[in-house]
Amino acid sequence: MGVTCVSQVPVAEGKSVQQTVELLTRKLEVLGAEKQGTFCVDCETYHTAASTIGTQGQTGKLMYVMHNSEYPLSCFALFESGPCLIADANFDILMVKLKGFFQNAKANKIETRGTRYQYCDFLVKVGTVTMGPSARGISVEVEYCPCVIANDCWSLLMEFMQSFMGSHAPSLPSVFGTKHDSIYSPSDTMVQYMELFNKIRKQQQVPVAGMR
Amino acid sequence: MEAPPVTMMPVSGGTINMMEYLLQGSVLDQCLESLLHRLRGLCDNMEPETFLDHEMVFLLKGQQASPFVLRARRSMDKSGMPWHLRYLGQPEIGDKNRHALVRNCVDIATSDNLTDFLVEMGFRMDHEFVAKGHVFRKGIMKIMVYKIFRILMPGNTDSIEPLSLSYLVELNVVAPAGQDIVSDDMRNFAEQLKPLVHLEKIDPKRLM
Repeated sequence: MGVTCVSQVPVAEGKSVQQTVELLTRKLEVLGAEKQGTFCVDCETYHTAASTIGTQGQTGKLMYVMHNSEYPLSCFALFESGPCLIADANFDILMVKLKGFFQNAKANKIETRGTRYQYCDFLVKVGTVTMGPSARGISVEVEYCPCVIANDCWSLLMEFMQSFMGSHAPSLPSVFGTKHDSIYSPSDTMVQYMELFNKIRKQQQVPVAGMR
Repeated sequence: MEAPPVTMMPVSGGTINMMEYLLQGSVLDQCLESLLHRLRGLCDNMEPETFLDHEMVFLLKGQQASPFVLRARRSMDKSGMPWHLRYLGQPEIGDKNRHALVRNCVDIATSDNLTDFLVEMGFRMDHEFVAKGHVFRKGIMKIMVYKIFRILMPGNTDSIEPLSLSYLVELNVVAPAGQDIVSDDMRNFAEQLKPLVHLEKIDPKRLM
Protein backbone atom coordinates (compact mmCIF):
# COMPACT_ATOMS: atom_id res chain seq x y z
CA MET A 1 0.00 0.00 0.00
CA GLY A 2 1.20 3.50 -0.81
CA VAL A 3 1.43 6.36 1.65
CA THR A 4 -2.08 7.22 2.81
CA CYS A 5 -3.62 10.14 4.63
CA VAL A 6 -6.98 9.76 6.39
CA SER A 7 -8.80 12.90 7.49
CA GLN A 8 -12.17 14.34 8.30
CA VAL A 9 -14.00 16.96 6.29
CA PRO A 10 -16.49 19.06 8.24
CA VAL A 11 -20.08 19.21 7.04
CA ALA A 12 -20.59 22.32 4.88
CA GLU A 13 -22.48 25.21 6.43
CA GLY A 14 -26.21 24.80 5.96
CA LYS A 15 -25.84 21.45 4.21
CA SER A 16 -26.39 17.83 5.20
CA VAL A 17 -23.73 15.12 5.41
CA GLN A 18 -24.94 13.62 2.15
CA GLN A 19 -24.86 16.96 0.33
CA THR A 20 -21.30 17.66 1.49
CA VAL A 21 -20.20 14.23 0.28
CA GLU A 22 -21.78 15.01 -3.09
CA LEU A 23 -19.93 18.35 -3.28
CA LEU A 24 -16.62 16.57 -2.69
CA THR A 25 -17.25 13.77 -5.15
CA ARG A 26 -18.38 16.22 -7.81
CA LYS A 27 -15.08 18.13 -7.41
CA LEU A 28 -13.21 14.86 -7.86
CA GLU A 29 -15.14 13.96 -10.97
CA VAL A 30 -14.49 17.39 -12.48
CA LEU A 31 -10.77 16.83 -11.85
CA GLY A 32 -11.05 13.66 -13.91
CA ALA A 33 -11.20 10.96 -11.25
CA GLU A 34 -12.90 7.68 -12.18
CA LYS A 35 -15.34 5.86 -9.95
CA GLN A 36 -14.02 2.41 -9.09
CA GLY A 37 -16.46 0.61 -6.85
CA THR A 38 -17.15 1.13 -3.19
CA PHE A 39 -15.27 0.73 0.05
CA CYS A 40 -15.99 0.12 3.70
CA VAL A 41 -13.90 0.44 6.85
CA ASP A 42 -15.45 -0.61 10.13
CA CYS A 43 -14.36 -0.64 13.75
CA GLU A 44 -15.65 -2.62 16.71
CA THR A 45 -14.69 -1.90 20.30
CA TYR A 46 -13.89 -4.56 22.89
CA HIS A 47 -13.21 -3.86 26.52
CA THR A 48 -11.66 -6.17 29.07
CA ALA A 49 -14.41 -7.83 31.09
CA ALA A 50 -14.60 -6.94 34.77
CA SER A 51 -13.58 -10.47 35.70
CA THR A 52 -10.06 -10.11 34.32
CA ILE A 53 -9.29 -6.66 35.71
CA GLY A 54 -7.15 -6.89 38.78
CA THR A 55 -6.20 -10.55 38.40
CA GLN A 56 -3.03 -9.81 36.48
CA GLY A 57 -2.59 -6.22 37.51
CA GLN A 58 -4.07 -4.89 34.32
CA THR A 59 -6.43 -1.97 34.09
CA GLY A 60 -9.43 -1.96 31.78
CA LYS A 61 -8.30 -1.51 28.20
CA LEU A 62 -10.01 -0.83 24.94
CA MET A 63 -9.18 -3.00 21.97
CA TYR A 64 -10.34 -2.12 18.48
CA VAL A 65 -10.96 -4.74 15.82
CA MET A 66 -11.17 -3.23 12.37
CA HIS A 67 -11.78 -4.39 8.83
CA ASN A 68 -10.93 -2.70 5.55
CA SER A 69 -12.58 -3.76 2.32
CA GLU A 70 -9.28 -3.10 0.53
CA TYR A 71 -7.96 -6.17 2.39
CA PRO A 72 -11.01 -8.43 2.54
CA LEU A 73 -9.21 -11.43 4.05
CA SER A 74 -7.58 -9.49 6.86
CA CYS A 75 -8.51 -8.23 10.25
CA PHE A 76 -6.67 -5.48 12.15
CA ALA A 77 -6.60 -5.47 15.94
CA LEU A 78 -5.15 -2.54 17.84
CA PHE A 79 -4.85 -0.81 21.17
CA GLU A 80 -4.91 2.95 21.39
CA SER A 81 -1.20 3.53 21.76
CA GLY A 82 -0.06 -0.02 21.37
CA PRO A 83 0.79 -2.54 18.72
CA CYS A 84 -1.43 -3.14 15.68
CA LEU A 85 -1.82 -6.80 14.83
CA ILE A 86 -2.62 -7.85 11.28
CA ALA A 87 -4.39 -11.22 11.25
CA ASP A 88 -6.57 -13.20 8.90
CA ALA A 89 -10.36 -13.24 9.08
CA ASN A 90 -10.40 -16.06 11.66
CA PHE A 91 -9.45 -13.49 14.29
CA ASP A 92 -13.14 -12.55 14.49
CA ILE A 93 -13.94 -16.16 15.42
CA LEU A 94 -11.28 -16.01 18.15
CA MET A 95 -12.94 -12.89 19.59
CA VAL A 96 -16.19 -14.85 19.85
CA LYS A 97 -14.33 -17.55 21.84
CA LEU A 98 -12.83 -14.84 24.05
CA LYS A 99 -16.18 -13.29 24.94
CA GLY A 100 -15.76 -14.18 28.59
CA PHE A 101 -12.67 -11.97 28.75
CA PHE A 102 -13.37 -9.27 26.15
CA GLN A 103 -16.80 -7.80 25.77
CA ASN A 104 -17.96 -6.32 22.49
CA ALA A 105 -19.39 -2.84 23.05
CA LYS A 106 -21.88 -3.23 20.21
CA ALA A 107 -23.23 0.30 20.55
CA ASN A 108 -19.76 1.65 19.76
CA LYS A 109 -19.50 0.02 16.35
CA ILE A 110 -18.63 2.68 13.82
CA GLU A 111 -18.03 2.45 10.08
CA THR A 112 -17.44 4.51 7.00
CA ARG A 113 -18.79 3.61 3.59
CA GLY A 114 -18.57 5.35 0.28
CA THR A 115 -17.16 5.48 -3.22
CA ARG A 116 -13.66 4.74 -4.37
CA TYR A 117 -12.09 7.04 -6.97
CA GLN A 118 -8.93 6.59 -8.97
CA TYR A 119 -7.09 9.63 -10.30
CA CYS A 120 -3.81 8.69 -12.00
CA ASP A 121 -1.63 7.37 -9.19
CA PHE A 122 -3.98 8.48 -6.43
CA LEU A 123 -6.76 6.48 -4.84
CA VAL A 124 -9.39 8.60 -3.07
CA LYS A 125 -12.13 7.25 -0.85
CA VAL A 126 -14.87 9.57 0.38
CA GLY A 127 -17.08 7.97 2.99
CA THR A 128 -19.98 8.74 5.29
CA VAL A 129 -19.13 7.80 8.87
CA THR A 130 -22.08 6.19 10.61
CA MET A 131 -22.65 4.93 14.10
CA GLY A 132 -25.81 2.87 14.24
CA PRO A 133 -28.45 4.58 12.17
CA SER A 134 -27.01 8.09 12.30
CA ALA A 135 -24.48 9.74 10.02
CA ARG A 136 -21.79 11.34 12.15
CA GLY A 137 -19.31 12.82 9.69
CA ILE A 138 -17.28 12.48 6.52
CA SER A 139 -13.97 10.68 6.07
CA VAL A 140 -11.56 11.21 3.20
CA GLU A 141 -8.73 8.77 2.52
CA VAL A 142 -6.11 9.71 -0.07
CA GLU A 143 -3.44 7.23 -1.10
CA TYR A 144 -0.45 7.94 -3.32
CA CYS A 145 0.18 4.44 -4.57
CA PRO A 146 3.71 4.54 -6.02
CA CYS A 147 5.42 5.76 -2.85
CA VAL A 148 5.90 3.88 0.41
CA ILE A 149 8.07 6.36 2.31
CA ALA A 150 5.95 9.01 4.03
CA ASN A 151 8.56 11.75 4.08
CA ASP A 152 9.17 11.49 0.36
CA CYS A 153 5.67 12.32 -0.84
CA TRP A 154 3.91 14.30 1.87
CA SER A 155 4.13 17.60 -0.04
CA LEU A 156 2.70 16.00 -3.17
CA LEU A 157 -0.16 14.43 -1.21
CA MET A 158 -0.85 17.78 0.45
CA GLU A 159 -0.96 19.60 -2.88
CA PHE A 160 -3.36 17.03 -4.33
CA MET A 161 -5.64 17.17 -1.30
CA GLN A 162 -5.77 20.96 -1.46
CA SER A 163 -6.93 20.75 -5.08
CA PHE A 164 -10.26 19.24 -4.07
CA MET A 165 -10.49 19.74 -0.29
CA GLY A 166 -9.37 23.37 -0.33
CA SER A 167 -8.85 24.71 3.16
CA HIS A 168 -10.03 21.46 4.73
CA ALA A 169 -6.84 19.68 3.69
CA PRO A 170 -5.32 18.17 6.84
CA SER A 171 -1.95 18.67 8.49
CA LEU A 172 0.70 15.96 8.81
CA PRO A 173 -0.90 12.89 10.47
CA SER A 174 0.67 11.88 13.77
CA VAL A 175 1.62 8.40 12.49
CA PHE A 176 3.95 9.98 9.94
CA GLY A 177 5.87 11.71 12.71
CA THR A 178 7.28 8.45 14.03
CA LYS A 179 7.79 6.82 10.63
CA HIS A 180 10.86 8.79 9.46
CA ASP A 181 12.13 6.70 6.56
CA SER A 182 10.51 3.38 7.36
CA ILE A 183 8.11 1.75 4.93
CA TYR A 184 4.46 2.71 5.17
CA SER A 185 2.12 -0.16 5.95
CA PRO A 186 -1.64 -0.79 6.04
CA SER A 187 -1.59 -0.77 9.86
CA ASP A 188 -0.62 2.92 9.69
CA THR A 189 -3.82 3.57 7.73
CA MET A 190 -5.88 1.65 10.29
CA VAL A 191 -4.34 3.66 13.14
CA GLN A 192 -5.39 6.85 11.34
CA TYR A 193 -8.93 5.50 10.94
CA MET A 194 -9.04 4.56 14.63
CA GLU A 195 -8.02 8.10 15.62
CA LEU A 196 -10.59 9.56 13.24
CA PHE A 197 -13.37 7.35 14.58
CA ASN A 198 -12.47 8.20 18.18
CA LYS A 199 -12.57 11.89 17.35
CA ILE A 200 -15.94 11.57 15.65
CA ARG A 201 -17.38 9.54 18.54
CA LYS A 202 -16.51 12.35 20.92
CA GLN A 203 -17.96 15.05 18.67
CA GLN A 204 -21.49 16.15 19.19
CA GLN A 205 -23.95 14.43 16.97
CA VAL A 206 -24.84 16.31 13.78
CA PRO A 207 -28.14 18.08 14.59
CA VAL A 208 -31.19 16.28 13.20
CA ALA A 209 -32.21 19.30 11.09
CA GLY A 210 -28.97 19.04 9.11
CA MET A 211 -29.37 15.32 8.38
CA ARG A 212 -31.37 13.79 5.60
CA MET B 1 -6.93 -1.05 -9.74
CA GLU B 2 -10.14 -3.03 -9.35
CA ALA B 3 -12.11 -2.57 -6.15
CA PRO B 4 -12.21 -5.71 -4.01
CA PRO B 5 -15.69 -7.00 -3.10
CA VAL B 6 -17.20 -5.10 -0.20
CA THR B 7 -19.30 -7.93 1.20
CA MET B 8 -17.52 -9.59 4.06
CA MET B 9 -18.62 -12.89 5.55
CA PRO B 10 -20.65 -12.34 8.69
CA VAL B 11 -19.32 -14.23 11.68
CA SER B 12 -21.61 -15.35 14.43
CA GLY B 13 -20.80 -17.81 17.18
CA GLY B 14 -20.79 -21.35 15.89
CA THR B 15 -21.17 -20.71 12.16
CA ILE B 16 -17.66 -21.55 11.24
CA ASN B 17 -16.51 -24.26 13.57
CA MET B 18 -13.50 -26.26 12.60
CA MET B 19 -12.53 -29.33 14.57
CA GLU B 20 -9.14 -30.93 14.94
CA TYR B 21 -9.05 -34.74 14.88
CA LEU B 22 -5.88 -36.05 16.51
CA LEU B 23 -4.01 -39.32 17.02
CA GLN B 24 -0.62 -39.44 18.72
CA GLY B 25 2.18 -41.88 19.33
CA SER B 26 5.94 -41.93 19.66
CA VAL B 27 9.03 -43.73 18.36
CA LEU B 28 12.50 -44.05 19.86
CA ASP B 29 15.29 -42.19 18.06
CA GLN B 30 16.77 -45.39 16.65
CA CYS B 31 13.48 -46.28 14.91
CA LEU B 32 13.03 -42.91 13.21
CA GLU B 33 14.49 -43.83 9.81
CA SER B 34 12.28 -46.86 9.25
CA LEU B 35 9.20 -44.85 10.14
CA LEU B 36 10.19 -42.03 7.76
CA HIS B 37 10.84 -44.61 5.05
CA ARG B 38 7.35 -46.09 5.45
CA LEU B 39 5.74 -42.66 5.54
CA ARG B 40 7.51 -41.64 2.35
CA GLY B 41 5.97 -44.70 0.71
CA LEU B 42 2.43 -44.24 2.06
CA CYS B 43 2.04 -40.49 1.82
CA ASP B 44 1.54 -38.07 -1.06
CA ASN B 45 4.45 -37.67 -3.35
CA MET B 46 6.16 -34.42 -2.53
CA GLU B 47 9.53 -32.99 -1.63
CA PRO B 48 10.47 -34.12 1.87
CA GLU B 49 9.60 -31.25 4.16
CA THR B 50 11.32 -30.50 7.44
CA PHE B 51 10.43 -27.82 9.91
CA LEU B 52 12.01 -26.00 12.85
CA ASP B 53 9.40 -24.12 14.84
CA HIS B 54 9.38 -22.16 18.07
CA GLU B 55 6.13 -22.38 19.98
CA MET B 56 5.06 -20.25 22.93
CA VAL B 57 2.01 -21.03 25.02
CA PHE B 58 0.16 -18.04 26.51
CA LEU B 59 -2.43 -18.01 29.28
CA LEU B 60 -5.07 -15.44 30.16
CA LYS B 61 -6.26 -15.83 33.73
CA GLY B 62 -9.70 -14.62 34.63
CA GLN B 63 -12.17 -15.39 37.34
CA GLN B 64 -13.06 -18.59 35.54
CA ALA B 65 -11.37 -21.68 36.97
CA SER B 66 -9.44 -22.51 33.84
CA PRO B 67 -7.31 -19.93 32.02
CA PHE B 68 -7.70 -19.30 28.30
CA VAL B 69 -4.84 -20.89 26.36
CA LEU B 70 -3.44 -19.64 23.07
CA ARG B 71 -0.48 -21.06 21.17
CA ALA B 72 1.80 -18.81 19.12
CA ARG B 73 4.11 -20.55 16.70
CA ARG B 74 6.74 -19.18 14.38
CA SER B 75 9.04 -20.76 11.85
CA MET B 76 12.73 -20.52 12.70
CA ASP B 77 14.06 -21.80 9.39
CA LYS B 78 11.71 -20.31 6.79
CA SER B 79 11.78 -16.56 6.48
CA GLY B 80 8.75 -14.48 5.55
CA MET B 81 6.19 -16.92 6.95
CA PRO B 82 3.41 -15.44 9.09
CA TRP B 83 3.13 -16.39 12.74
CA HIS B 84 0.51 -19.01 13.55
CA LEU B 85 -1.89 -18.40 16.41
CA ARG B 86 -3.93 -21.38 17.52
CA TYR B 87 -6.80 -21.90 19.89
CA LEU B 88 -7.70 -25.46 20.90
CA GLY B 89 -10.89 -26.19 22.79
CA GLN B 90 -11.65 -28.92 25.28
CA PRO B 91 -11.76 -32.43 23.80
CA GLU B 92 -15.28 -33.43 22.86
CA ILE B 93 -16.72 -36.13 25.01
CA GLY B 94 -18.06 -38.23 22.19
CA ASP B 95 -18.87 -41.91 22.03
CA LYS B 96 -16.10 -44.33 22.85
CA ASN B 97 -16.25 -45.63 19.29
CA ARG B 98 -14.83 -42.41 17.92
CA HIS B 99 -11.29 -43.24 17.01
CA ALA B 100 -9.63 -39.85 17.32
CA LEU B 101 -9.49 -37.03 19.84
CA VAL B 102 -11.79 -34.26 18.62
CA ARG B 103 -11.55 -30.64 19.71
CA ASN B 104 -12.58 -27.26 18.41
CA CYS B 105 -9.75 -25.35 16.79
CA VAL B 106 -9.23 -21.87 15.40
CA ASP B 107 -6.12 -21.17 13.31
CA ILE B 108 -5.09 -17.61 12.58
CA ALA B 109 -2.16 -16.30 10.56
CA THR B 110 -0.76 -13.09 12.02
CA SER B 111 1.94 -10.48 11.63
CA ASP B 112 5.15 -10.88 13.61
CA ASN B 113 4.27 -8.55 16.51
CA LEU B 114 1.97 -11.27 17.88
CA THR B 115 3.70 -11.76 21.24
CA ASP B 116 3.66 -8.02 22.02
CA PHE B 117 0.00 -7.93 21.13
CA LEU B 118 -0.91 -10.92 23.30
CA VAL B 119 0.90 -9.37 26.27
CA GLU B 120 -1.02 -6.14 25.69
CA MET B 121 -4.26 -8.17 25.75
CA GLY B 122 -3.29 -9.50 29.16
CA PHE B 123 -1.83 -12.89 28.21
CA ARG B 124 1.32 -14.13 29.91
CA MET B 125 3.69 -16.74 28.51
CA ASP B 126 3.44 -20.00 30.37
CA HIS B 127 6.08 -22.07 28.59
CA GLU B 128 7.87 -22.40 25.27
CA PHE B 129 9.64 -25.10 23.29
CA VAL B 130 11.24 -25.79 19.94
CA ALA B 131 9.92 -28.48 17.61
CA LYS B 132 12.13 -29.94 14.89
CA GLY B 133 11.07 -32.64 12.49
CA HIS B 134 9.34 -33.80 9.34
CA VAL B 135 5.88 -33.28 7.93
CA PHE B 136 3.99 -35.49 5.45
CA ARG B 137 0.56 -35.24 3.89
CA LYS B 138 -1.97 -37.76 2.69
CA GLY B 139 -5.04 -36.03 1.30
CA ILE B 140 -6.37 -33.91 4.13
CA MET B 141 -4.35 -35.80 6.74
CA LYS B 142 -1.16 -34.29 8.08
CA ILE B 143 1.49 -36.48 9.71
CA MET B 144 4.23 -34.88 11.78
CA VAL B 145 7.25 -36.64 13.24
CA TYR B 146 9.17 -34.28 15.47
CA LYS B 147 11.36 -33.89 18.49
CA ILE B 148 10.65 -31.43 21.25
CA PHE B 149 13.51 -29.37 22.65
CA ARG B 150 13.58 -27.57 25.97
CA ILE B 151 14.79 -23.95 25.82
CA LEU B 152 17.50 -23.50 28.45
CA MET B 153 17.36 -19.72 28.68
CA PRO B 154 14.03 -17.98 28.13
CA GLY B 155 13.92 -16.24 24.80
CA ASN B 156 17.16 -17.77 23.53
CA THR B 157 16.33 -20.41 20.95
CA ASP B 158 19.98 -21.20 20.22
CA SER B 159 20.64 -23.12 23.42
CA ILE B 160 18.22 -26.00 23.41
CA GLU B 161 18.31 -29.60 24.58
CA PRO B 162 16.11 -32.52 23.59
CA LEU B 163 13.34 -33.32 26.02
CA SER B 164 13.51 -37.08 25.40
CA LEU B 165 15.19 -39.81 23.36
CA SER B 166 12.16 -40.17 21.13
CA TYR B 167 10.12 -38.47 18.43
CA LEU B 168 6.49 -37.53 18.82
CA VAL B 169 4.27 -38.71 15.94
CA GLU B 170 1.01 -36.89 15.29
CA LEU B 171 -1.69 -37.59 12.74
CA ASN B 172 -4.18 -34.78 12.48
CA VAL B 173 -6.94 -33.45 10.30
CA VAL B 174 -8.71 -30.10 10.54
CA ALA B 175 -12.23 -30.42 9.18
CA PRO B 176 -15.65 -28.83 9.70
CA ALA B 177 -17.65 -30.12 12.65
CA GLY B 178 -19.72 -33.24 12.18
CA GLN B 179 -17.45 -35.16 9.82
CA ASP B 180 -16.86 -38.20 11.94
CA ILE B 181 -15.94 -40.29 8.91
CA VAL B 182 -12.59 -38.51 9.14
CA SER B 183 -11.66 -40.45 12.25
CA ASP B 184 -12.35 -43.76 10.45
CA ASP B 185 -9.94 -42.77 7.67
CA MET B 186 -7.38 -41.80 10.27
CA ARG B 187 -7.72 -45.13 12.05
CA ASN B 188 -7.24 -46.99 8.78
CA PHE B 189 -4.09 -45.03 8.03
CA ALA B 190 -2.78 -45.58 11.54
CA GLU B 191 -3.20 -49.35 11.04
CA GLN B 192 -0.72 -49.17 8.17
CA LEU B 193 1.92 -47.68 10.41
CA LYS B 194 1.81 -50.56 12.88
CA PRO B 195 4.00 -52.01 14.32
CA LEU B 196 6.49 -49.18 13.75
CA VAL B 197 4.34 -46.79 15.73
CA HIS B 198 1.05 -47.15 17.60
CA LEU B 199 -1.09 -44.05 17.13
CA GLU B 200 -3.78 -43.65 19.74
CA LYS B 201 -6.35 -41.26 21.02
CA ILE B 202 -4.66 -39.71 24.05
CA ASP B 203 -6.79 -37.50 26.27
CA PRO B 204 -4.51 -34.70 27.60
CA LYS B 205 -6.53 -34.39 30.80
CA ARG B 206 -5.68 -37.93 31.84
CA LEU B 207 -1.99 -37.09 31.80
CA MET B 208 -2.29 -34.24 34.30
